Amino acid sequence: MIRFDHVHKQFPDGTTAVDDFSLVVPSHEVAVLLGSSGCGKTTLMRMVNRMVDPTSGSVWIDDDNVADLDPVPLRRRIGYVMQNAGLLPHRTIADNIATVPLLEGVDKKTARQKADELLQLVGMSTSTADRYPSQLSGGQRQRVGVARALAADPNILLMDEPFGAVDPLVRRDLQSWLLEIQAHLAKTILFVTHDVDEAFLLGDQVLVLREGAEIAQQGTPDEILDHPADDFVRTFVGIDLPSRRRRR
Amino acid sequence: MNWLSSNLDQVLRLTLNHLAMAIPPIVISLLLSIPLGWVAHRNRVARQLLLTGSGILYALPSLPLFVLLPIIIATKILDPLNVVVALSLYGLALMVRTATEAFDSVSAEVRDSATALGHSMGQRFWRVDLPLAGPPLLAGLRVVSASTLSLVSVGALVGVPSLGYFFTDGYTRSFLLEIGVGIIGTVLLAVIFDVAIQLGGRLFMPWLRATDTRRARR
Repeated sequence: MIRFDHVHKQFPDGTTAVDDFSLVVPSHEVAVLLGSSGCGKTTLMRMVNRMVDPTSGSVWIDDDNVADLDPVPLRRRIGYVMQNAGLLPHRTIADNIATVPLLEGVDKKTARQKADELLQLVGMSTSTADRYPSQLSGGQRQRVGVARALAADPNILLMDEPFGAVDPLVRRDLQSWLLEIQAHLAKTILFVTHDVDEAFLLGDQVLVLREGAEIAQQGTPDEILDHPADDFVRTFVGIDLPSRRRRR
Repeated sequence: MNWLSSNLDQVLRLTLNHLAMAIPPIVISLLLSIPLGWVAHRNRVARQLLLTGSGILYALPSLPLFVLLPIIIATKILDPLNVVVALSLYGLALMVRTATEAFDSVSAEVRDSATALGHSMGQRFWRVDLPLAGPPLLAGLRVVSASTLSLVSVGALVGVPSLGYFFTDGYTRSFLLEIGVGIIGTVLLAVIFDVAIQLGGRLFMPWLRATDTRRARR
């Protein structure tokens, strides 16, 4: 479980990125933060692994206030997937996937076995293990990014627009693939996107955010589509678009 | 060519002298520029100081420096140490800027992702920042290596023996072959060093070869 308790974030330059935000993400569920760029959604996500510390309020993982935890081990037990995958360009695919085990000091052979297992889990051939990130396609890199996030067998995955940089066809593939693996991995996932279709496809609950990470509406995809809270939500999710009408 | 075979001993001895004065500055400037460049990369004030300082240092003419150094560091005028110290300063002046820019050039995204994965500060430096700064560092080192090998010769003007002795001696005797031996010897050393540095780069940075797009297209 991830819990945000009245968090507030003001940056040194005086801008307020997050203003009094609270949320509970139950274990094994996918919560999607949906909003346009600059609304504070990435800032919120980064509070979970302490890449950003809130100015006030607290973030909890189960019964631990993350502010009481050492950031380095905390980050190692949380999977993080970012846009463009963020792979280390100078490490092979196998070493990239096994980054966290290698940081923890496991030997090369064990790390390699783990990497091969994970490559198979994410539906890739183990023959890619000795290549470098720039030798893979964008879609393959994102899969490797997910494999790397899973390497330490974390309970929590943070996904920051993980499929934002791949073309629409590959994105659809990756989205349905993520749903498939989540069906048996059952991780607690916090997912950030500005893609409305992606949010409704993947989220158990979706939060539509305004500027300052103010929650415009929170609910299941159906709730939001059937009962948009106001004109902002109606416009943002495009209730009146033909494609949306067809879906309902 | 007779001159060469009868003076082979001297050629060898001066080549070794040359190497003994050139290698330490090259190694020292690389090793010192890494921590200094890292500090300059992370701290704005340090950056100003180090980059301005190294700019001024590099602007000092070499010959007066060879003459002044014995006074400053209390060595004898003919001590090869003067040349080593002076060339280390020059090498450092070049390498500090290179190293600073090399660390600047590491993609913020990659750095960010390394932090998010749980690299500690030290782990990130050794496993991410330093290797990714490698290619520009290597390029800078090639320049320093070539310039150091040629600047060692200037020491001959103040009487510190190196391959540069063949220029000064050959010049006073108007003996073209001797001058030629000095020039060719220096250039040869520079080429050998350059090749060695590039081979070292391939060894330590295997990803460069694997991801070389020119190679991949072939």
